[in-house]
Amino acid sequence: MWSRKSAMLGSLAVAMYLLGLTLRNTQLVTIAVVIFVFLTWAAIFGGHADVSASGRRADEWSGEEGVSLSNVSAMRKLSSARIFEDGEVGVTLRMQNNSGLGKILEVRDRVPEVMRIKDGANYILMELGPRRETFIEYTVECPLRGFYSLGPVAVRVQDPFGLFHKEKELHVYNDFLVFPKMEDLSDTFVKSRVPKIFTGAVNIRQPGPGSEFYSLREYFEGDSFRAINWSAYARTGRLMVNERERDAVSDIILIVDSRAVSETGPVSRNALVYSTRAAASLAKFFLGRRDSVGLVTYSDEVVSIDRDTGSKQLYVILTKLAGAMSRGNIPLQVVVNRILPHINKGSPIIVMSNLEDDPTIITALRDFRARDFDVTVLSPSSLEFEFDAKRLDRTGYEVLKTERDILISELSSLGVNIMDWEPDMLLSTALAGARGF
Amino acid sequence: MAKSGDTAHLYDGKTVRSAAPSRKKLAGTSSSTGEIPKDAIPTVEIPSFIESLLGGPLVPKMKFLPADKMVQNLQLGCYGILIALGVLTYIVTPATGTLWFAVTGSMAVASVLQLIVVVGAVGTGFWGTMTRDARFLLVSYVMFILSVMRFASSKVSLSQDVFGGEETQFLLTILVVVYAVLLVMYFELSNGVLRFSMLDTSIRTREVYVMNVKKIIGKYHRSLIINPLIAGTLALLVLSVNTILPAFISLFSEQTALRMEESIELISVYGVALGTLFVFLIVGGLFVLDLPSHLQSWRENKE
Repeated sequence: MWSRKSAMLGSLAVAMYLLGLTLRNTQLVTIAVVIFVFLTWAAIFGGHADVSASGRRADEWSGEEGVSLSNVSAMRKLSSARIFEDGEVGVTLRMQNNSGLGKILEVRDRVPEVMRIKDGANYILMELGPRRETFIEYTVECPLRGFYSLGPVAVRVQDPFGLFHKEKELHVYNDFLVFPKMEDLSDTFVKSRVPKIFTGAVNIRQPGPGSEFYSLREYFEGDSFRAINWSAYARTGRLMVNERERDAVSDIILIVDSRAVSETGPVSRNALVYSTRAAASLAKFFLGRRDSVGLVTYSDEVVSIDRDTGSKQLYVILTKLAGAMSRGNIPLQVVVNRILPHINKGSPIIVMSNLEDDPTIITALRDFRARDFDVTVLSPSSLEFEFDAKRLDRTGYEVLKTERDILISELSSLGVNIMDWEPDMLLSTALAGARGF
Repeated sequence: MAKSGDTAHLYDGKTVRSAAPSRKKLAGTSSSTGEIPKDAIPTVEIPSFIESLLGGPLVPKMKFLPADKMVQNLQLGCYGILIALGVLTYIVTPATGTLWFAVTGSMAVASVLQLIVVVGAVGTGFWGTMTRDARFLLVSYVMFILSVMRFASSKVSLSQDVFGGEETQFLLTILVVVYAVLLVMYFELSNGVLRFSMLDTSIRTREVYVMNVKKIIGKYHRSLIINPLIAGTLALLVLSVNTILPAFISLFSEQTALRMEESIELISVYGVALGTLFVFLIVGGLFVLDLPSHLQSWRENKE
């Protein structure tokens, strides 16, 4: 393939050659001849490197593959196929030259745009000897959740003067998953007022509302007098209360708004990012408490994961959250209508939405409340994200903020536990605020 | 300290933002002036007409770090070649037949103008190489080409014949070939200064990692010697067509060879063109037969 430089030199040579004949000027013709020889020599004996990786899959590939690159192969190994946001993936790329000729190769391993190279380099210029191999190691930092793919490996050889090059994309792909990061919510108190009827014996081994004795602890202000263990008081001289083992699990329904409007704000700070992190943290917390957790995301379609327990369910939920894309504009009412017949009455429902551009929010949440569901709304404020990014002026911000406050108080009056989640607020703080603790 | 909403670290220094259309519109209408804030509109870089023709910017916007030893050596080489090229250009391109001679009609004025062009080419070349600014290099290239553009009536004449070279055709041919090779070498070396500055900057900013730097640079250095030698030799062969062709013909007919030797056409620029045509017909044939690929394949599979 001709480079811009060789094309310009070639054109110059042709122009000088013709001009030389016209002006009967031997010098011009001589310069043209020398340029021609330069180009010819480089084309015949050059064999060598910058890269334009298009990210196409093998079946779409119709580019140039020079002879000099037919014997170059690549293999890639990742340190982990599943990580959490802000985690790191170690990549080892093995490049092999199977031919009997040494090559100067320019290799670029394509890394998704949102990733940052932390250690090493994915772009390497190297001299690879005949029948030799080398390992390229680098680490990428993954700041945002999602499904990602590393590859292809773009390889280029070019002559020393950069006149001609041959390119090839080695279709080696490695997929990996970045889960939303999670926050510890051990101090969060969200309980079902209506225990789920659980078939079979389940040993929860956690203190909570129940009938079986769990342990003794000191009396704190606010504890019921009925819980005081009088014989323990007589023995120790201090007020002691009985703690009981939780004998019920709850069905927790997490609803995540992933409509197009949920991504309002900067890429790494918007309602969808916050909602997915909150949903992941809540799922981990409730599943760790042996509750049964279900997830519903709505965008241009309503996707739901049926309630289940255990660590497998956590990974199912995390995977779904990792792949949540902002698109469409399905109203919350559609989601409510669809899931209402399938959830147990009184189950806690946690909605994560920025409450933007949805005229059905009030009626949808009223429907939940009317059926006595314990509704909590965590609302990451898109306004704050926009204002922080300096894309909203003060007047606009104040007007929108007033509108939002009115909506929040209206929802609050319906008995919805709601929290206007500001960008710098921890999830546990927001949850505590929503629940009134 | 970086602002909390800044995403620059994620996208190579660029702050990438996305927002729903309704929000952007609202942000615009709610401002005191009624305009959409500049910050709300993503920056889109549209290449200029020239850039789209060339497939990229003419002058890379990359800021180079101070030159390393390799680049400094290339710069030194470039200065040396520039001096030699300046002297040779002045010698092999007398003012007769130049554009300025045609315009002014005065040999003295034309000579001065020709000297100014050559000095200008050398000066801008020096400055361009030193500052590593492609714009000055481009001006220098154009001035060098401009200085050689003259009506010459197929005759190589010299402005300064110090060693009496004009009398010996072969010496004259060598001088022209050396001049042409030096000009092409200047193109290459000055371009090399920019290329290796870019590479060096990329290495030092950790954008690219280079394994076996010495081998890669060594290969470039070798090519800097081998390629001009080959180009010079081949050009010499082409320019000596008026000697080679009659010698070949003399194997079959002495008389035809003699007639060819004395032919005006063969020693004119058309003779050179004929020689070039022969050589490149052969080279073209080799390409048609896909010789480079076969050659590469043979070299790769050789044990």
